[in-house]
Amino acid sequence: MRQSSTVRLAGLLGMGIALAAAAAFYGAATVAGYAPVARYGGALWVGLLAWIITMPVLAPLLRRRA
Amino acid sequence: MIDQKQKHVGNPKLTEIALPVRGMSCASCVATVEGALRGIDGVASATASLTAEKAFVTFDPGKVRLADLEQAIRDVGYEVGKEVLALQIGGMSCASCVTSIETAVGSLPGVASVQVNLPAGTATVTYYPGLVTPALIKRTIRDLGYQAAERLEGAAALDREREARRREIRRQGRWMLVAWPLALVVMLGTFQDVWILPRFVPGVLANPLILFALTTPIVFGPGWQFFINSYRGLRHGVTDMNLLYATGIGAAYLIAVINTFFPHAGFGGPEATFYEAAALLTAFIILGRYLEALTRGRASEAIRKLMSLQPKVARVLRNGAEVEIPADEVEVDEVVVVRPGEQIPVDGIVLEGYSAVDQSMITGESMPVEKRAGDEVIGGTMNKTGAFKFRATKVGRDTALAQIIKLVEDAQTSKAPIQRLADLVAGKFIFWVHVLALAVFLFWFFIGYARFFSPETRLMLTPYTLAGVGVFGFALLVSVAVLVISCPCAVGMATPSAIMAGTGKAAEHGILFKGADAIEAASRLTHIVFDKTGTLTRGEPSVTDVVAAEGWLEDRVLRLGAAAEVNSEHPLGEAIVRAARGRGLAVDEPEAFSAIPGHGVEARVGGRMVLLGNRRLMRDRGVDITAFRGQAERLEEDGKTVMFVAADGQVAGLIAVADTLKEHSAEAVHILHRLGLRVVMITGDNRRTAEAIARQVGIDRVLAEVLPQDKALEVKGMQMRGMRVAMVGDGINDAPALAQADVGMAIGSGTDVAKETGHVVLIKDDLRDVVTAIEVAKATMRKVKQNLFWAFVYNTVTIPIAAGLLYPWSRQVVSPEIAAFLMAISSLTVTLNTTLLKRFVPSLRGGRALAGIRRELAPLVGVPH
Repeated sequence: MRQSSTVRLAGLLGMGIALAAAAAFYGAATVAGYAPVARYGGALWVGLLAWIITMPVLAPLLRRRA
Repeated sequence: MIDQKQKHVGNPKLTEIALPVRGMSCASCVATVEGALRGIDGVASATASLTAEKAFVTFDPGKVRLADLEQAIRDVGYEVGKEVLALQIGGMSCASCVTSIETAVGSLPGVASVQVNLPAGTATVTYYPGLVTPALIKRTIRDLGYQAAERLEGAAALDREREARRREIRRQGRWMLVAWPLALVVMLGTFQDVWILPRFVPGVLANPLILFALTTPIVFGPGWQFFINSYRGLRHGVTDMNLLYATGIGAAYLIAVINTFFPHAGFGGPEATFYEAAALLTAFIILGRYLEALTRGRASEAIRKLMSLQPKVARVLRNGAEVEIPADEVEVDEVVVVRPGEQIPVDGIVLEGYSAVDQSMITGESMPVEKRAGDEVIGGTMNKTGAFKFRATKVGRDTALAQIIKLVEDAQTSKAPIQRLADLVAGKFIFWVHVLALAVFLFWFFIGYARFFSPETRLMLTPYTLAGVGVFGFALLVSVAVLVISCPCAVGMATPSAIMAGTGKAAEHGILFKGADAIEAASRLTHIVFDKTGTLTRGEPSVTDVVAAEGWLEDRVLRLGAAAEVNSEHPLGEAIVRAARGRGLAVDEPEAFSAIPGHGVEARVGGRMVLLGNRRLMRDRGVDITAFRGQAERLEEDGKTVMFVAADGQVAGLIAVADTLKEHSAEAVHILHRLGLRVVMITGDNRRTAEAIARQVGIDRVLAEVLPQDKALEVKGMQMRGMRVAMVGDGINDAPALAQADVGMAIGSGTDVAKETGHVVLIKDDLRDVVTAIEVAKATMRKVKQNLFWAFVYNTVTIPIAAGLLYPWSRQVVSPEIAAFLMAISSLTVTLNTTLLKRFVPSLRGGRALAGIRRELAPLVGVPH
C-alpha cells in the first residue's frame, strides 16, 4: 500500500513538473512567434517527455524518504 | 510476536521488525545478538528471543538499512534466515523489463536481493520471511504486466517453460498476421504515387481515410500491448522499452490522425500523414518480439537436454520380485536391476554383474566405461552390453544428474560482473533516451528547423519527401526516431544469452560452471595451481621399477615381495601385490608373516626367509645391499620409495614404488603452457618428491612442504602479486585454496558434484578438462564482448544519425519505421551471434590441441611469474 501511494505521489509531482515544463515551452514558443499548433503540440510533447523523465527519478527518491 | 514490518507507535519514524536469526543456542547468544544490534546507530531497541529464534528490532529506516542489521548479526557469527524464491517470468522482452522487475521487486520492504535473467525468463528473489511474502512479490511482478509463477523442478518446469514460450510465440505470431499484411498495404498506399506502383496499386489506397482505417486496427490491436505495459510500468514508477514503443507509435499515429482530419492544423498537413510509420513501427517491433521468443528458448537447450536425460522408470527388487516403478520413487538402498540398452534410473553401486556404460551424456567421456561389482553408476547414463544389479545410493534431488541440472540452472541465472554493468547501462538508458529525445526535440524546434530545414528533405531510404512538414512535425519526427532507434534490447541480451550458451556448452563436456562470474574469471587467468596428490597423480602408490640381483629374475623378485606382503594392509605392500597380479604372477601365501613397524616385513615363503623393507631393516639383519646403493639413490632422487628384497640373508633385488602421474597430466600442462598460462604445483610432500613429479609433468614452479591449511595462503600470496589464479584440486583438503582462488576447479567429482567446493566442477577425472573449461570460458567471454560491441556500436552509430546529426548535409531523416527495423536487426544480430557458440569445439575434441600454436592461444605477454 505504502509503495503504491509513493508511486502515486511521484506521478502527481511528476505531472506538476511536466506541466511546468510544458508551460515554459509554450511561453518560449510564444515569445519566439511560433504558430499556435506548434506551440500546443510542442508543449504537449515536452510535457509528456518531462513526465516520463521525472517519474522514475521521483519514485525512488520518495520511496527512500518514506 | 511481531512479524510484519510496522510503524512504531511512539515515534512514527521508527519501524519495528522481527528478523529470523539462526544459530542461537543459549542466553549468551541472545546477549551477543542484542549487543550487536544495539551498537548500530539508528537502532532504538533490540531484543532477541531464543525460543522464537528471532530478533525484534526497532530502528529508524532513514539511518539503518535491513542489510546493516543483517551484517551486524552475521558479524557476530549468526545467520539471518532468508528465503529464496525462484520464479518463472513470462512476457519479458528486453533489458528494460529486467530493470523494471528488479526495481519494483527490489524496492519491496524485506527483499534482500533480486536477480532477473532475461533469456532464461527467470527471477531469483532473496527475501526476509515475515517482512514480505512470495504472494506479494509475485503480485508486484504481475502488476507490471508480466506473468510470474514459482519455478517447478525437473520435467514439470521444462514443460511449463516450454508451454509459456510457445504461448508467447503463438501470441506474437497472431499479432504478426494482423500487423504485417495491413502494414504492407498501408506502405503501398503511402507510396502509391512512387516509381511503378501507380500501375499496380489503386489510387484509393492513398486516401488518408483508408490509411486511417487500415492503421487503426494495428495500433489498437498488436500495438495495444505496449500502451498497457507502459501504463503498468509507470504505475510502479519504472520506465521500460514499452514506453519507447508506445510514445513512438502513439506520436506517429496521432500526428497522422490530426493531419487527416485537420489538414490545416499546421502539423505538416496531408504530406505528413505518418500512418505507414505507425503501422510498420508496430509490425517491426512485433517481428522483433516474435524472433526473440523463437531464439530465446534455444539458449537454454543444454538444460533441456539434461532434463530429458532424467529416467522415467526403474526396475527394483521388492520381495524377491522385479517391480517396475517410476524412477523418482526408488528409495535409497533398494536393489535396482538394469538390462542391456536400458537407462540407469538413479545413482548407485554395482552389486553383481558386468557391463559397459555410456556416460557421455553426463561426463562427456566418449568411450563406454566398464562397470563391475563395487563400481559407481550414475543415473541417466545408458547401459550398453550386460545386465547388472546395483544398490541405490542417491535418489531424487540427490542424484548426480539432478545436482548437475541445479548447478547449470543456477549458473545460467547468475550474472557476470560484465552483465551487471550492461544491465546498469541498459536500465539507465531508457531514462537518458527520453532526456535525449527531449533535447533533440527542443533543438530542432527552436534552432535546427529554422537554420537547416530544406523543402528537399526526405525520409532516409525512401522516396518520401517532407517538403510541407512544419517545425513541430519535423522536430517530433526526429525525436520519435531517436526514441525508437535507441532500444537497448541488444545490450540487455548480449551477456546473458552468451553465458547461457557457454554454460550449456561446458556442461556438454562434463564441466559445470557454478556461476557466470566463474566463466568471466576463468577467461582471464594467468596461473594454474595444481594440487599434486590425487590431482596430478593418482594418489595411490604403484610399483615403478623392479631391479633384480645377479641370478634373479625381475618377476621372481616381485613375486617374492608380493608373497611377503600379501597379508599386509600397508599401501606400499598393496602396491607390490597389485603389481604382481597385474603381471599375471601367482602370489603365494606366506607360511609365516610379521610386520616390523617403520622398517618392513619378514615372512617365510616356500621355506625361505624373506625380508622386504628399507635400508635400516637390511642393515639390522646384516644383508649387504652395496650393489644396489647407486641405483637406489637414483630412484630416490626421482621421488620414489625403494624397498629391498632379501631371501635367506642375501639381497635378491629392489622394488621402487611411487605415486604415479595420471594419464593426461603432462598433456594438460603442456596445453596450458600453450594457452599462455604459468603452471604451479602445490603439495605437502617433501621437495625432492615434488620436484621429481614436476619434472615429469613440466611444471613451472613447485610449492612443496605446504601444509593443507597454508595452501590458501599461498594462493592468496600469488593473487596479491597480481596473478589471477585457478586452483585445481580434489575438493577435500584443498577446499580453502579452492575457495580462495579466482577460480576453484574441483576435479573428478564423480557423482557428488554439489558437495564440492570451488567455482567449477570437472565431472571426469581428466585434467584436460581444465583446458576445455578455460577454452569454453574464453570463447564465451569472446562472444559476450562481440555481442556488447555490436549492441553498443549499433546505438553509438544510429542514435546520432536519428538525432539528425547528418541532416544539414544529407537532408534526410530516419523514419520511425526504419528505426524500428534497425532496432529489430540489432537484437537479432546479437541472438544469432550467440547461437554460433554452439559450433564451438574445444581444441582437444577438435584435434587441434597439439597442432601448433593458434593465434588466440599464443602466450600472454607480461604474465607475472
